[in-house]
Amino acid sequence: MPVLEVSDVCVAFGGAQVLSDVSLTVAEGGVTGLIGPNGAGKTTLFNVVSGLLAPRSGRVSIDGHDVTNAGPARRARRGLARTYQRLELFTSLTVRDNIQVAGEIRNTWSRRGRIDVTAETDRVIELVGLGDVADREVSELPTGRARVVELARALMTQPKVLLLDEPASGQTEQETEAFGRLLRQLVEDRDLAICLVEHDVGLVMGTCQHIHVLDYGEVIASGTPEQVKVDPVVVNAYLGAP
Amino acid sequence: MHLFLTYTILGLVTGAVYGIAASGLVLTYTTSGIFNFAQGAMAMLAAFTYWQFRYGWNWPAPLALFAVLVVLAPLLGMVLYVGIMRGLRQTSDVTKIVVTIGIMLGLIALAQWIWSPGVPRTDGLFFGNTAKFKVLGVYVTDHEAIALACGVLIAVGIRLLFTSTRTGVAMRAVVDNPALLQLNGGRPERLAAFSWALGGALAALAGILITPISGGTLDVHVLTLLVLDSIAAAMFGRLRSIWLTFAGALFLGLASTYVLGYFPESWSWASNFRIALPMIVLFVVLIVLPQDRLRGATLLRTRERFTVPTMRSAVTWGGILLAVVLLLEQIMGSSDMGSLTIGIIFGIIALSLTLLTGYAGEINLAPVSFGAIATIIVFHLGLSGSGTAQRITFWGLLLGMAVTAVVGGLIALPALRLRGLYLALATLAFGVFVSDMIIADIAPHVLPIFHLNYSIFPNGTLQIPALKLGPIDLSSSKTFLTTATCIFILIGIGLIALRRSNYGRRLTAMKDSPAAAATLGQNLIKLKLSVFMISAAIAGLGGILLSSASVSVNSDTFIIFISLALVMLTVVGGIGNVAGALMGGILAGTAFQALTSTFSNLSTDAGGGGFWSVMANLSLVAPALVGISLGRNPSGAVPDIVARYKPLWQTKGVLLLGVMAEVVAYLLVLTKVFGNWWFVLASALIAIALPAVGRLVEPEAFRPPAKVKPARERPAAVPAPEPLVEGVADARP
Repeated sequence: MPVLEVSDVCVAFGGAQVLSDVSLTVAEGGVTGLIGPNGAGKTTLFNVVSGLLAPRSGRVSIDGHDVTNAGPARRARRGLARTYQRLELFTSLTVRDNIQVAGEIRNTWSRRGRIDVTAETDRVIELVGLGDVADREVSELPTGRARVVELARALMTQPKVLLLDEPASGQTEQETEAFGRLLRQLVEDRDLAICLVEHDVGLVMGTCQHIHVLDYGEVIASGTPEQVKVDPVVVNAYLGAP
Repeated sequence: MHLFLTYTILGLVTGAVYGIAASGLVLTYTTSGIFNFAQGAMAMLAAFTYWQFRYGWNWPAPLALFAVLVVLAPLLGMVLYVGIMRGLRQTSDVTKIVVTIGIMLGLIALAQWIWSPGVPRTDGLFFGNTAKFKVLGVYVTDHEAIALACGVLIAVGIRLLFTSTRTGVAMRAVVDNPALLQLNGGRPERLAAFSWALGGALAALAGILITPISGGTLDVHVLTLLVLDSIAAAMFGRLRSIWLTFAGALFLGLASTYVLGYFPESWSWASNFRIALPMIVLFVVLIVLPQDRLRGATLLRTRERFTVPTMRSAVTWGGILLAVVLLLEQIMGSSDMGSLTIGIIFGIIALSLTLLTGYAGEINLAPVSFGAIATIIVFHLGLSGSGTAQRITFWGLLLGMAVTAVVGGLIALPALRLRGLYLALATLAFGVFVSDMIIADIAPHVLPIFHLNYSIFPNGTLQIPALKLGPIDLSSSKTFLTTATCIFILIGIGLIALRRSNYGRRLTAMKDSPAAAATLGQNLIKLKLSVFMISAAIAGLGGILLSSASVSVNSDTFIIFISLALVMLTVVGGIGNVAGALMGGILAGTAFQALTSTFSNLSTDAGGGGFWSVMANLSLVAPALVGISLGRNPSGAVPDIVARYKPLWQTKGVLLLGVMAEVVAYLLVLTKVFGNWWFVLASALIAIALPAVGRLVEPEAFRPPAKVKPARERPAAVPAPEPLVEGVADARP
C-alpha cells in the first residue's frame, strides 16, 4: 500500500493552471523521486500535500487516511514531514534548539508515547553529522548545512513519509554524496518513505527506486530511474524537441 | 418616511467620509505594505490646520483648502514615507505598527502643543448653515452634498487609477515584489511616496469634511478616533478592494445613523453603542474574514535580534533591581515613590507584551484595556471591608486575572487564524470598545429576571483600595513599591524560565516560521490562544495594581492612547527583553511625566512661556520621536545598552570605582547633604562616564567585536526566491 497517495490534484493561480490532474504515489520504505524542469509545479505539489495550499480539486491521503481537508498540523500527526526549498528554519534558535523543538512539538501530539527529546536530539545530530555546529545560531550556517538542519528537524517527528524539497541545492559535491548515503541509511534503518525533489541527477539516480516526472503541471512519466532516463517524452521536456 | 430619508442622507454622508479616509489606508497599505495607524491623526492635524487658516487667520475657504489639501497634507504624507517608512523594509510587523503609532502619538502631541486644548474651536459647514436645498422634501446642506460628491469621485477615481493607468497597476505590483517591478522599469520608491502623498490628502479631506458634520468642535482625541473608525471600512475590502471598502463605509455610516434614529430612548447604552459601532463592526468583519494562508519566514530575515539570558543572570539582575529599589525607598519622598510605583506597574503590564510580542510575535495594542476589565471585576467582586479598611482580596485579584484571561481568549480567538496585523486590529477594536461602551456605562441598569440594580462603571469613577496579600498590606506607599517590584521580578524571572522551556521554544518556532511549526504538527491556534490568555492575565494583574496605585480611576486612566504609548515605549526599550519591559514601563509611567512636570514647574517659576515651556512641550512629543526612531534600531535600546556596558566586566577596577562613586553620592543624599535631584544628576554622570573611562584604561576590551557573518543572503545556487505558499513563481507564462 502506498504511504502517500495524490489523486487528480488541480491547482490554479488566477488564470495560470499550475497543476492539472496530478496523480502519483509514494511507496513505503523507499526513495521516490519527483523531478521536472524549473516551474513544473513540484514545490506547489509539496505545498498541497503538506496542507499549506488548498487544491482546487483532487484528494490527498497519507498512510491510508484521507487528509484532503486537514490542516498542516493534522497531516504531520498522520506521519508527514517536510523540508523547504526556501529554508524555513527558526532563525532565533540554535541548531540544537531547532532540532529539539521539533521533538518537543511531536511530544505534544504523538499517540505513540513521548520520546526523550534530549537524547533523541543528540542521536539525530550525530546521525546527520551536525555535531560540530550544534550550538551555533542557524543563521550563521552555510545553506548546504542549513538544509541538513531542516532534515534533522523533520526526522524528530519520526515521520512515515518525508518530503525533501531540493535538499542538495547549495551543498558541495562531497556534502551531496554524504547526503545520498544518509538518505539510503535512513530508509533502511527507519521504515521511512522519502519523496525527493532534486535537480542533482547523480543524487536522484543513485537513491531513487522510482521516479515521477512533472512538466507544466502534469505527470509526463513514471518508472524506474533506468526507464525514465531513456523515456523520449522526458528527454524532450528537459532538452527540447530534437 | 421623512425621518428615514433624513437619517439615510446623513448616513450616506458619514459613510462617504469614512470611505475617503479608508481608501487612503488601502492605498498606502497596497503600495508600501505599511498599515498607517496615523491616518486618523493626520486627518485631525489637517482639520486643525484648516481651522487655523480659515477661522484663525480668516483666509478665504478655497485658499485654505488649497493650502491644506494640495500642499501641506501631501507633503506630510510624502515626508513621512521618505523620512521614515522607507527605512522599515525587512522589519517585523511589530516594528512597522509601532512606528506608525509613534507618528500618531507625535502628531497628537504636536497638535496639543500648537493649539492649546483649553481653547474651544469650531469648524463651520462649507457655505454656512443656511446653504441647503431640498431633495424629496428633506433639507440637504451644501456641505453634505459636497462630501457625498467627493466620496463618489474618489471611489471612482481610485478604482480607475488602479485598473486603467500604468501608475496604478504598478502600484499594485509594488507590494508583491518591488525588486521585480524595478527590473521591469517601475520605480517602487517613487510610487510608494506618491501613494503616501495621496493618502495624506485623502486623510486631510476626510478630517475637514467630518469635523463640521460631527458637531464642529475640534478635539484632538475625538477627531483622531473618529477617522480611525474608517479602519473597519478598509477591512471590508480586506485592505485591497476599493469598491468593497466604500460599500463597508456606507454600511457603517448608515448603521450608525439608524442606531441614532431608531433605537428606543430607554436604552441608555444606545448612544455609546453608536460610538462603539465601527469597532464592533471591525471585530465582526475579522470573524468572517476567510483564513489567511500560512506564511513562511519573511523573505530575508528581519533585523530584530534578541538574546535570552541564563536563569542565573536573570536571578542576579532581579536581586540587583530589588536592592536598588529598596535603597531608593530610603531617600524618596512618598510622591516620588508613588510615581516610581506607577512606572514599575506599567512595567508589569509591559511584561505581558514581552511574552506575547517578544516571544510569540503576536500583537496586543490594548494591554491597559485588559487591565480595565480586571479592575472592574475586582471592584464588583474582589473587595472586602469598608471605608478606609477596605482592601482588594487575594482571591479578588486571582478572579480578576482569570476573567481577563478568558476575555482575552475570546477577543483573540477570531483573529488567531489571521496575520499579526489583524490580531493587532482586533485588540485595538477591543480597547476602543472598552472605553466607549464599558467604561462609559455609568448609568444604573436593572438586570432582567433577577431585578438587580447594577452599573458597570458607576458614576464614571471607581475608588480602588489597596491590595492585601495575606499579612502584607499594601496601603503604605513603601510596601506597595517593594511589592510591585517583587511582582515584576517574579514575573520577569518566570518569563525567562518560560522562554527557556519547551513551551518557550515552541513559541519562538511559531514566531520565526508559522508554516514550519505547523508542518511539524504544532496546533498554532491552540498555542496562540494559550499565550494570549497568559499575557492577558498578566496585563490584568498589572491593571489591578495600576488602579489600586491610582486610587481613583476613570475613563482617562484607560484611554487607548495610554496603551498605545506603552506598547510603543516597550518596543523602544526592547520587546524581546524583560529589561526592555521595565524600561518601557518606567518611561511610560514615570520618566516622561517627571520631565514634563519639572519643565512645567520651571516654566511657571519663570513666569510662564519661554524656554522651559518649550522643553515641557518637547518632552510631551519626545516619546513619539523615540518611537519613530525605532526604524533605525528595531531591536530596541536594551541590547544597545548591554553592548555598551558589557566590556566593563573586563575593567573591574573602573567598575568598582563607579560603584563606589555611586555609593558616596547615595550616602551624601541619605545624610541630607544633597537633594534628590543632585543624586539623579550624579548617577547619570557616573553612568555616562563609566564606559568612557573604561575605554581609556583598556581600549582593547571596548573595541567592537569582529563582525559575525551578517544575515545569510539568498545563495546564488538557489533559483529566484519562490513565495513559499503562493507558489506563483511555479506558474510559467
